[in-house]
Amino acid sequence: MSLTSYLLISLVLFVIGLVVMISRKNIVAILLGIELILNAAALNFVAYSRFVTNNLDGHVFSLFIIVVAAAEAAVGLAIVIRFFQIKETIHIDEATQLRN
Amino acid sequence: MFVQLLFLLSASLTIGCAIAVAVTKNIMHSCIFLLGSLIGIAGLYATLGADFVAVTQIMVYVGGIVILMLFAVMLTGGKDFVSRAQNLLGLAPSMGNKWTYGVGLSVGLVFLLTNVKLILSISEYFPEKKFGNEFPSTVTQIGHLLVKDHVLAFELSSVLLLGALVGAAIIARPRKQ
Amino acid sequence: MNQTLVSYLSQYEFFDVLLSLFGKNEGLLAFTIYLVFAGIIVGLCATIGGLGTYAERKISADIQQRIGPNRVGPYGILQFLADGVKMITKEDIMPFTADKFLFYLAPMLALIGVFSTLAVLPWSNGFIMADLNVGIFYLIAISSLVGVSVFLGGYASNSKWSMLGGLRGASQIISYEIPVTISILSITLLAGGMSFGTILGQQEGAPVHWFLFHNPFAFIAFFVYFVGALAETNRAPFDLPEAESELVSGYHTEYTGMRFGFFALAEYIEVFVVCGVGSALFLGGGNLPFSTTFDIIPLQLVQVVIFMTKTLLLYYVVIWVRWTFPRLRVDQLMSICWKYLTPIAIFNLVGNAVWVVVFHGKSIAELLSGGH
Repeated sequence: MSLTSYLLISLVLFVIGLVVMISRKNIVAILLGIELILNAAALNFVAYSRFVTNNLDGHVFSLFIIVVAAAEAAVGLAIVIRFFQIKETIHIDEATQLRN
Repeated sequence: MFVQLLFLLSASLTIGCAIAVAVTKNIMHSCIFLLGSLIGIAGLYATLGADFVAVTQIMVYVGGIVILMLFAVMLTGGKDFVSRAQNLLGLAPSMGNKWTYGVGLSVGLVFLLTNVKLILSISEYFPEKKFGNEFPSTVTQIGHLLVKDHVLAFELSSVLLLGALVGAAIIARPRKQ
Repeated sequence: MNQTLVSYLSQYEFFDVLLSLFGKNEGLLAFTIYLVFAGIIVGLCATIGGLGTYAERKISADIQQRIGPNRVGPYGILQFLADGVKMITKEDIMPFTADKFLFYLAPMLALIGVFSTLAVLPWSNGFIMADLNVGIFYLIAISSLVGVSVFLGGYASNSKWSMLGGLRGASQIISYEIPVTISILSITLLAGGMSFGTILGQQEGAPVHWFLFHNPFAFIAFFVYFVGALAETNRAPFDLPEAESELVSGYHTEYTGMRFGFFALAEYIEVFVVCGVGSALFLGGGNLPFSTTFDIIPLQLVQVVIFMTKTLLLYYVVIWVRWTFPRLRVDQLMSICWKYLTPIAIFNLVGNAVWVVVFHGKSIAELLSGGH
């Protein structure tokens, strides 16, 4: 219930998101990892706003993180759909067009 | 006492569902476990007294982003996703193979171990502000902050959302081939 | 204006008596009161859900000039109990190729989403279980869980009818959330807060103080909200996801017995909640037609009766609409939402904001009576 516990939860969430992003091969699964990382950061901001500072700037920043995550998820999934229309699969190893 | 109970429930829901996102074979199940994790985080916001942020989290993530991911999985041949790139050594296709999980876990461990010590010692930098059981409402204050101090970010985020809306519609529209 | 049930009850004397019974442990007393009231509310809503099926059959029979159920009990009023027993005793089948985890999860998510909204419903001015400062916002947010459950029910059954029904249902629900939320936002603008206590407090007194008659934009917002809410609960002319003649039974084709009962119960209770929100936001909720200075428990019970009357009136209109209008096609449904309801809702929001600025938030009645 102290600041440390919230920071630890946010750290574990960040690490799990990182593991999901690195180890999975499905593009939508990678986007799931991105959502976990963004949420960990937002939790961090709100925890600091509660325990350290006296104002609600952390809450406002968390709201903006949520907004940005929504916009980025929408565009990311549109790109995934376009990728599927071209390559007929969403395995990340098929994204090799920029490789020499 | 109930705040602690809610904290424990939300924390275990969050971390448990996050681990399930990492290890589930089926991509649809991963999306649903992400839903559980996001609801757990909303519970954590509630224990911090951030009522507006918690409800916004549920509204945007649960009502919007998770459904968006589910639709994207359905539109891209989701659960029948089979990899053609490499030999997968028995793991399910969307999961990756032992190399990727090895690299992922080692990176995760390195990151965890370097930061855990930092976080555990953070209480010396910030004096422990013990809060009582008062949870004043944040709605009015956030409203004031959004139109006084952070008005630029507020307006820019509306432009960002417009750009994302138009961009997503253009990128994913059906082409006449 | 922000209280819970326990803090409201704590102003009476019997609360201290109960407190001494519990050995001065306030937390335990609060928990017990919440538990008892949650039980009462859940029982009440389950009965309303069951009686809703009976009411639907009777009212549809009346509209179609037949009699409807009249065998079980006087006037067939125990029909819903017979239906419940039938549903419980049916065999619980799951398709072989269905996705087990999601198949089990979908009806539960629907019920969780709907029952969680009962915590903020304003039964009277004092009997709100938790008068959150983000009350109405919380209600809209939690109702989005039903959309996820519709999609999962359609997907997990692994059959063509269910998949089509699930996709249509989920897209319908997320599309109609927009005009509904914007209409509710206009009322939040007029009331100055998102908590139900604030919104009900502004509508005290004679019916001219209801938000329905506040200004023309709020009047239109009520109808936008009503039509959008009909579509959100998959009801009335918008029930293509569960259309009997088109998709067998849409997203709950493969569900039998009590699992189907969960979906049906979730739908009926969600209609009740939506009508309750409509009556609280636009029709004055449980407010008495006169203002009183004292506050006793029987007065609150009268307010509960008034709230239930208004809600059940709207419920009757919902059932009436279902058996009067033909079903809409899926593209007509989507075009109604995006081409008509959403622009009208945005226009209402802007109109309300302009009204608040120009007339300082006074209603038409106040302007007319304050003019001379």
